[in-house]
Amino acid sequence: MKKKKAPRRIRTVGDNCLIGASGEYSDFQSVMDTLEGMVQDDVNYDDGEKSDAKSIHSYLRAVMYQRRSKMNPLWNDIIIAGKDFLGYVDKIGTTYEDSFIATGFGSYLAIPILRSKWRPDLTEGEARALLEDCLRVLFYRDCRALNRIQIAKVQGDDDAVVSDPYELETNWSGFEATKGDMDGDGGW
Amino acid sequence: VLLNFVPLSQTSMATFLGPNAVPNGIQRLPIHSSEPHAMSVPVNPSPGADSIDHGVTEAPYERRFSPYDFNGGTTLAIAGKDFAVVAGDTRMSTGYEILSRKVSKLHPLTDHCVLASAGCKTDVDQLRSVLDIKSEVYRHNHQKDMKVTSVAQMLGNTLYMRRFFPYYAFNVLAGVDAEGKGAVYSYDAIGSFERTPFSASGSGQSFVIPLLDNVITHKNRNDPKREMGAEEIVEIVKDVFVTAGERDIYTGDSVDIMVITKDGIQKQSFGLKAD
Repeated sequence: MKKKKAPRRIRTVGDNCLIGASGEYSDFQSVMDTLEGMVQDDVNYDDGEKSDAKSIHSYLRAVMYQRRSKMNPLWNDIIIAGKDFLGYVDKIGTTYEDSFIATGFGSYLAIPILRSKWRPDLTEGEARALLEDCLRVLFYRDCRALNRIQIAKVQGDDDAVVSDPYELETNWSGFEATKGDMDGDGGW
Repeated sequence: VLLNFVPLSQTSMATFLGPNAVPNGIQRLPIHSSEPHAMSVPVNPSPGADSIDHGVTEAPYERRFSPYDFNGGTTLAIAGKDFAVVAGDTRMSTGYEILSRKVSKLHPLTDHCVLASAGCKTDVDQLRSVLDIKSEVYRHNHQKDMKVTSVAQMLGNTLYMRRFFPYYAFNVLAGVDAEGKGAVYSYDAIGSFERTPFSASGSGQSFVIPLLDNVITHKNRNDPKREMGAEEIVEIVKDVFVTAGERDIYTGDSVDIMVITKDGIQKQSFGLKAD
């Protein structure tokens, strides 16, 4: 049963880094508290330096690894994005960087689409359309997904922004043909 | 991770049934960790295990968090007369899924020493960080790089320090020793190590080791053994990875190959099938 109308799964860290997590929402909130504290420490230090996505990724990996080593993990799969950086951390501290990353059902349904359609010279519009296509497929095929989505973008050193949630358009006509004999549920 | 199988005759049933009661005449294995003789099977199977137990109906067990994951891949190293060749594929997987096709398993520790590790990537990364720090401290204290023989001992000791919560890293260390000869060391997860003419570890090691036994150490052959140079060994390594990639689902995408000589490390890359 859906619990929240619009859970904030993607958030900004400072103004130059985006972080999105799947898994245990309360653990994500705890992670965000820690990272927001870190950003505030940067501000208080007032030395002109601020944490970038790569250093946040590295720090978060250390946190996740330490928690798993105490057999009390933060149960999340996390994606961190910033200028020229896209990385992944999971609950035991496995990390990797790539041009596109997905967690949860996305790794099964979206990654094959991205592997086939991603190009290094995608424009922003094409990239957004590609993401929407992936999220649409996820809505069609993951029974726990919604068509209410958010897309976030970061390009420079201070312009990380998360969009408001909006609804994707879906077309269920293709599924009519797969009605099957029992109850028209699309199964066959 | 070994499972201690307890004979059915020794399992004890729910207390209200009495000590010797057997419900419906069928003995039941304990399910919950609070029951005596319960075995908890981690959700992620141990490295190399190819059984993903869907038989929960046959022998139900409590599923619990495993601090380890198996990220797959194969590494190998071969010692030559005055060089060493070390190679590892670049695929990182989890379960039946590929996470990345471009992750290197090789990590240079000094100019003459490379560590290749397969197993649980997070533990491998942590091990690399720990070794890097120890090497850096050594360099500050002694004003020179560690010798390969010293790195080998340090790695063995570092692994044993985690004897009761091991780094799930299956390591192969390669380099050129102080006399200029190629050196290869094989390790297990808790630091037992030995200098060997070649070594292979990871998901494809069963495919690779018998092949290298024949081609490198000349086992079960009657023709005269001859010395092979670095270029020839590199070609053999490429063939070996093609072989491993053919049958091992966790090996593929590409191979990083490093040739270590007294002059340093040269790196090359070789493509494998992405299936």
